[in-house]
Amino acid sequence: MLIDLAPGQRYRAATLTALEHASDRQRASVEVRVVATDTIDRRLVADPGTAVVIGPGSPYRNPGGVLEVVRSARERGIPLVAT
Amino acid sequence: MLVEHARDLAGILDAAHAEYGTGGTAVISLLACSLQGRTITVRLTPSSQLATLCGSLQAVEHTTCSYGLAPEMQHIADQHGMRVAAVDDTGEVRAVERTDHPFFLATLFQPQLRSAPGHPHPVFVGLLKAALARA
Repeated sequence: MLIDLAPGQRYRAATLTALEHASDRQRASVEVRVVATDTIDRRLVADPGTAVVIGPGSPYRNPGGVLEVVRSARERGIPLVAT
Repeated sequence: MLVEHARDLAGILDAAHAEYGTGGTAVISLLACSLQGRTITVRLTPSSQLATLCGSLQAVEHTTCSYGLAPEMQHIADQHGMRVAAVDDTGEVRAVERTDHPFFLATLFQPQLRSAPGHPHPVFVGLLKAALARA
């Protein structure tokens, strides 16, 4: 999950909680890696994970990096939600 | 997601988000009427992935958005493999999804704010289902 909001911030917490609700429904174990956009690097762009969540809270500190992850997920068929 | 779509697929090379300044072509612009802290009713596009997930053609959602797809750019939401998945009561685009991808969805509302224990929001269920199918 790409998000710049601080831990504990309402919308960040709501997004993580929504993923928990969904994983409970799916009876799936989900590991969420929270990534601040200014730490996006080439490795993350090349391998964004099993799924990507673009969290709320723009403006992002590194909008170019967010675009690269979005492009990578689109080209690689990786599920993505942007809210 | 819309800026990437505009730049890489719609050919608007200088597509920009107005929140980052005034340069380029503003694909995302300040809403004439901010939706910050509001609850809106959205109409879901029949046969869209979002409508299928929600099992309905209408949804009530919370939004914190002050920016949205620029009025003069609404057409790009239905081009180059993207389609409109939801509009609000003014007809403006509030969600888009890709038709050439297993699951690629952007909302101009915040579905996470409607999720509750035992009642997960369909958007996040859809994301996890797609991820599990790919794993």
